[in-house]
Amino acid sequence: MQTRSLVFLFGSALLSLSTGAGAVTSPPPSAKVQLGQAEPFCNSGVPSEWRKAQVIEGVNIQESRVCNADNPADIAAFVKGTNNISMQTIMDTSSLAADAITKTNDMDGDGDPDHIIIKVEIMEVNGHSPDFAGVVPTFDIAPGIQPSFWVFAPKTRDMSTRSFASVEANPMLRMPSTPIRVEQGDVVWLVVENTHYFPHSIHLHGVDHPFMDHGGEGNDGVGQTSQMDIMPGQSKTYVIRPRQPGTMYYHCHVQPHTHIPMGLAGMFIVEENRPNNWVQTFNVGAGQVRHPSVAVLEKFSQEYDLHYQSVDKDLHKLPQAANDPRLIARAMNQEYDITDATDDYFLLNGRSFPYTLRESLITVNPNEKIKLRILNGHTETLALHTHGHKATETHYDGVEQNPSAQVTRDVYMMAPAQRLDLSINTTDDGLHSFGSGIWMFHDHVERSFTTDGMGEGGSISLIVYKSYLDENGTPKTHGMDLTPYFTKEFWERKIPVWQDWADDWGSLAEPAGIQTAAAASVTGTTGVKSAPDVVATDTSSNPLGSLFNGLLFGIAGYVLYLYRERVLAVINQLASQAKGKH
Amino acid sequence: MSKFTHLIIFGAFLTASSAYAAKQQEIVEHKLLMDHGDGHLMDMDGGMVMGQNKDKLPGGCDKISGDEEITVRAGHKYSKKFPGTMFAFDKQEWRIKPCTRLTVHFINEDNIRHQWMMHGLPKYLYDKGMFHLEVTGPAKISGTLIVPKEDKTYLVHCDIAQHMEKGMKGQLVVGKGGGTFPSIPGLTDFAIPDNYGPTQIAATTSAQPAVTQPTAAQPLPAPQSSSNTGTFIIGLALGLFATPFAVSNFKQRFKGMSSKDVVIYGANLGKSLFDQAVHLAISIYRRFKK
Repeated sequence: MQTRSLVFLFGSALLSLSTGAGAVTSPPPSAKVQLGQAEPFCNSGVPSEWRKAQVIEGVNIQESRVCNADNPADIAAFVKGTNNISMQTIMDTSSLAADAITKTNDMDGDGDPDHIIIKVEIMEVNGHSPDFAGVVPTFDIAPGIQPSFWVFAPKTRDMSTRSFASVEANPMLRMPSTPIRVEQGDVVWLVVENTHYFPHSIHLHGVDHPFMDHGGEGNDGVGQTSQMDIMPGQSKTYVIRPRQPGTMYYHCHVQPHTHIPMGLAGMFIVEENRPNNWVQTFNVGAGQVRHPSVAVLEKFSQEYDLHYQSVDKDLHKLPQAANDPRLIARAMNQEYDITDATDDYFLLNGRSFPYTLRESLITVNPNEKIKLRILNGHTETLALHTHGHKATETHYDGVEQNPSAQVTRDVYMMAPAQRLDLSINTTDDGLHSFGSGIWMFHDHVERSFTTDGMGEGGSISLIVYKSYLDENGTPKTHGMDLTPYFTKEFWERKIPVWQDWADDWGSLAEPAGIQTAAAASVTGTTGVKSAPDVVATDTSSNPLGSLFNGLLFGIAGYVLYLYRERVLAVINQLASQAKGKH
Repeated sequence: MSKFTHLIIFGAFLTASSAYAAKQQEIVEHKLLMDHGDGHLMDMDGGMVMGQNKDKLPGGCDKISGDEEITVRAGHKYSKKFPGTMFAFDKQEWRIKPCTRLTVHFINEDNIRHQWMMHGLPKYLYDKGMFHLEVTGPAKISGTLIVPKEDKTYLVHCDIAQHMEKGMKGQLVVGKGGGTFPSIPGLTDFAIPDNYGPTQIAATTSAQPAVTQPTAAQPLPAPQSSSNTGTFIIGLALGLFATPFAVSNFKQRFKGMSSKDVVIYGANLGKSLFDQAVHLAISIYRRFKK
């Protein structure tokens, strides 16, 4: 600001003088902004055996070529139920509770269990602590970005963090709320244990369920019409027997305008009834289903769950701003106004680019057919686009479209809460696929490929042909260095995006000494300094202060004008002296 | 199988579910636990004991100094006496003599999981330095440990996300104890207190240290450089064009006055200008704060 004021002063003074005094002001040189500590592309610590195709407890588990592959013991437990596997496998899971999934009673005698008890808990990640300044347990959506979330998580045991020394959340406690899979015709008891400090519920959006259960309890999860919400410390069992298959949805129906964006929403998939059809009850973190159902494998070689979500960072700060539940409730229910809100972060399966590349890749071979189940959990319309592929829309909201009327295209429109099933065919015919490669897929609404306005971020991910993947799940990209995306500084807006690109002298880098708006807003958002302090210590950022500065410079300019003859004489004298010296 | 039998089976399961819900109201005792070694016991209904130790003496203890049993109750209803919490134990502090063999009966009265998790024990006896009871209520689970000889205060909490933060926290004092933990309901202050706003602070400061913490709940008025440039230009224009008028005006006004009169006039004018400027600044500041 100060340097800019000087420019104004001299500019105004020189304008009023009509001589051609030859002062050359050279713009500042380029300065290089140092990158902070960058994370490696893959730091999941996942053993490479987890990525291989394997059989555990008699469960076929497909290979997963991504960095952060699912724990195969988890998959075995999700498929068989915690009651049908060895204690050792339970101990090998990511702390799944021994009573998380109970599968019994083959009622129709077709070789799979038909009575399924599923237990979920409501967990907060990136929550407040009255004991230290950070959040706990942590779940980063991108480097250094930790908005608070509430999720429906499979029932776990033991600590919420990975260890007593770590604040990082147990792998089961993460965004999005886990997709839940059942088989058509199963009797499902969905048990919600409300471990959270607010009331919650589950509404089974699109899933065939009776309004009241046989015990006379409400079963629709809507407090105003069905049954009172589930209070903290209470549990509720929803009883359903879905007659129709399809990709459906479940979400909390308490203050849903904040509870759905906070994360209490997930995919609910009813798989078609088939003999010997053990379905994978949970798919934690969504993405690839490593044990697809019998019906899916009849037509497809792979299946993926894709859950898109958006985050207003102001809403997700509220649970971190206080410890007292009454203050948080007041801030969320009485003060927060969603009609004035804008979304800042855009998530695919709980993460933003570049973290999506660690776990939400669609990994394919040529000549495959892949089923994608997509949920638009955004607050606004989604326009999903697949590079290099035109996919066929087979089901809308879980209902199959007449096969002769199915549409093949490359932008798929979805309103909020809608589900879409896509069939991707990787046959290189110039229509369904343009051949092998690393092909992006993303919401084509521009702001959703940013993270708080910084690009490229948001919900971008990739369709990667396996020949373009190394053994740790890193795509062999052919473009720029992705390192800056793995630093916190990039998302804090500190790194000029093109600083190393054009040439080695940085012709698109940052001018030295520039005071960026970003730097100012970064100090503002950290919340270390309170706002009045900032205003008091820095007059140049105060509108009154700059008015005063302007006034001073204006008077100075006038005075210069008034005594222009004297000033001119002095300048001429100086000039002639300078000439004389030459 | 016919549709009819399906219906019967379905009906039976649906009815069973409501019976299941009714059964949950009694406290279930988890006694049949499977031993997984290293003091880790578990059952298939979510009951769990970790760090069970009935006979291994901690270093420095010649013998078990005595047997003691405590019963701990946990649930939402115990948070009633602590405003601003949601879950709590019935007690927040337990005092135990060194080398005591302590049996803890943990009764969870909620319909969710709770834990009684103790940290900081010697790792050569207790895996991860932990003794841990966990059960989904309403239910009871019991476990035994031998406390070390040293005077020390141990953190006891429920590690389910936000349960400790929202009140389920206590301390177990061995001997004279040592060290303290913040934010134990009724015992110790928060390390980071909540901000209840200006009206509430007067009422609560007597109990709490008056450290007002800026919270992210208050929107921070971000400095706006564009509007600053605007006001700067307005100031510049005022200075350039109004100064000639001001100078000619003042020349006329002070015609014939002595220098002393001019100084007094100037002082008075300055004072009133200053007062007006203060008023203006306050009103602008208030508007910006809104």
